[in-house]
Amino acid sequence: MAEKLLEIKNLKQYFNQGKPNEVRAVDDISFDIYKGETLGLVGESGCGKSTTGRTIIRLYEATDGQVIYDGINVHDKKSKKDLKSFNRKMQMIFQDPYASLNPRMKVLDIIAEGLDIHGLVKNPKERKERVVELLETVGLNREHADRYAHEFSGGQRQRLGIARALAVNPEFIIADEPISALDVVSIQAQVVNLLKELQEEKGLTYLFIAHDLSMVKYISDRIGVMYFGKLVELASAEDLYKNPMHPYTQSLLSAIPLPDPNYERTRVRKSYDPASHNYQDGEEIAMREVTPGHFVYCSTKELATLQAISGSQV
Amino acid sequence: MKHDLQKPPASSFERIEIDSSHAERISKPSLSFWQDAWLRIRKNKAAIVSMFILAFIIIMAFVGPMISPHDSETQTITHANLPPKVPGIEKLGIMNGVGTLAGKEVDLYEMKKVDTYYWFGTDGLGRDMFSRVWEGTQISLFIAFVAALIDMVIGVAYGGISGYYGGRVDDIMQRIVEILYGIPTLVIVILMLSFMDPGITAIIIAITITGWIGMSRIVRGQVLKFKNQEFVLASRTLGATDSRIITKHILPNILGIIIINTMFTIPTAIFFEAFLSFIGLGLQPPDASLGTLINDGYKLIKFQPHILLYPSIIISLLMIAFNLLGDGLRDALDPKMKD
Repeated sequence: MAEKLLEIKNLKQYFNQGKPNEVRAVDDISFDIYKGETLGLVGESGCGKSTTGRTIIRLYEATDGQVIYDGINVHDKKSKKDLKSFNRKMQMIFQDPYASLNPRMKVLDIIAEGLDIHGLVKNPKERKERVVELLETVGLNREHADRYAHEFSGGQRQRLGIARALAVNPEFIIADEPISALDVVSIQAQVVNLLKELQEEKGLTYLFIAHDLSMVKYISDRIGVMYFGKLVELASAEDLYKNPMHPYTQSLLSAIPLPDPNYERTRVRKSYDPASHNYQDGEEIAMREVTPGHFVYCSTKELATLQAISGSQV
Repeated sequence: MKHDLQKPPASSFERIEIDSSHAERISKPSLSFWQDAWLRIRKNKAAIVSMFILAFIIIMAFVGPMISPHDSETQTITHANLPPKVPGIEKLGIMNGVGTLAGKEVDLYEMKKVDTYYWFGTDGLGRDMFSRVWEGTQISLFIAFVAALIDMVIGVAYGGISGYYGGRVDDIMQRIVEILYGIPTLVIVILMLSFMDPGITAIIIAITITGWIGMSRIVRGQVLKFKNQEFVLASRTLGATDSRIITKHILPNILGIIIINTMFTIPTAIFFEAFLSFIGLGLQPPDASLGTLINDGYKLIKFQPHILLYPSIIISLLMIAFNLLGDGLRDALDPKMKD
């Protein structure tokens, strides 16, 4: 398999730790992201997807655990210089295109912010040229540079967000629900296709956080399913859709509507009850590999059952 | 001519090419935030009129004492207690130097053999009220602007630090504010003036000692709101320093609210200064502010109403104009915030 770009080991993010209102937003999750792939992260609202993304990029200080990028732990105390070079490698695209662009700045300054911070351009002319180049990469043009963010539509704004992230030539981009605030499917497709094109062109790696399962399937190579701060299943996109193993994943997939009346008439929604596992005290529940590349959060007993089922299917 | 709707002639159609390269074009002219705000405030008549009134009063505060033929501090006892007399207008029956003396209407200028004009009359010491009123306005405005500026600087810094750094810093800073806020301002002022010499400095300190609290609270709230906005997070992921985030992202966004708040602080300061002067804690003679002039005038309201009238009109105009302008600015700078 390809080279590991990012290893996340036992990442924990607790808010209000030790107080009665402690929230375990991300609770001991581990996964790897390989170079050049897109890892989709799905789950219901409030399950900790976005927090995972923000913790990885250090917007939050992790409570515990490691994020190893190219062999270096990102969450170690580091010098400003190291942090800066890390900031250039890892970038983020935000959920709300209306909140992610400063309303008082011109597009030129928004996109050039990364260039300014990292000193990537020498003079205003070069700065402008680089910004125009980035605008053209995302399908906008020169005349948009002198406008303010509020003059753009949602889809255009999201592309501006992408251009800003691309300005520092990152290797890894965390896309935090980049399409969920866009209402029209064609606009969503435009943004997703742009992300795909950029991936091919620049060899980018994505962590794609979303709750639109059909879009995730379309863009992702592998998909991780999160439930209440825990990663419950991780498999290749194909495998996850064909052969969901964790009952929560099955429940999630059963909720996808399709524009097909015949299918809709027979579709049965499964609901997920965490009590259905009947875990005994002392049973160790962890991510276990059921079939190659397909991990499920389960106990050893469940693992045996799951392996028996998947063995009989093959 | 009868139209054959089944078979329209091909010639009546024209092929239009859509140039998809123009799909992303925005035709609206690009307006910055301030241009947009100007367009909005221009529609607000009350705010525009207020702006002109304020401009007039501020200009007169400087020019007034200069164009007056009399000095504000020269005491001409023989010219004491004269009513207003203005050339030109005197023919209309008002401002013609006629005052009440022992229940009878007499031309006091003629009686006292004064052949010059006092536009706003004179006070009990024979000083020219016109110069005194405008000099008083000047001092009142000076106190108000300096107090508002100090309030703004302290309030923005305090609120900004408290909101931006949050956590324990915020907790401690907010408790201090709450304690300060709990002490009645007048008590602090009276205590302070008991060991400071009354004067402009003492009044400015008195106004600012608790005046910045309102500003600091508003700024703190705004900073709390903006510091977790996605554009600030985006800037942080790009590696921006705190100072860059504060100056480039947070301050420009809360500037509107800071300006609005200052616009409401100024009239409050004018009024508080007038109030302090009125109760005798303020400026000492021969310095005059609008407050001391009103204080002098109200004792003579029955006999010499002009001494009270002019400073009262000016302070009222200032209060109304600042408030209306502040209101207009609020609507223009913060269109999302209703009432």
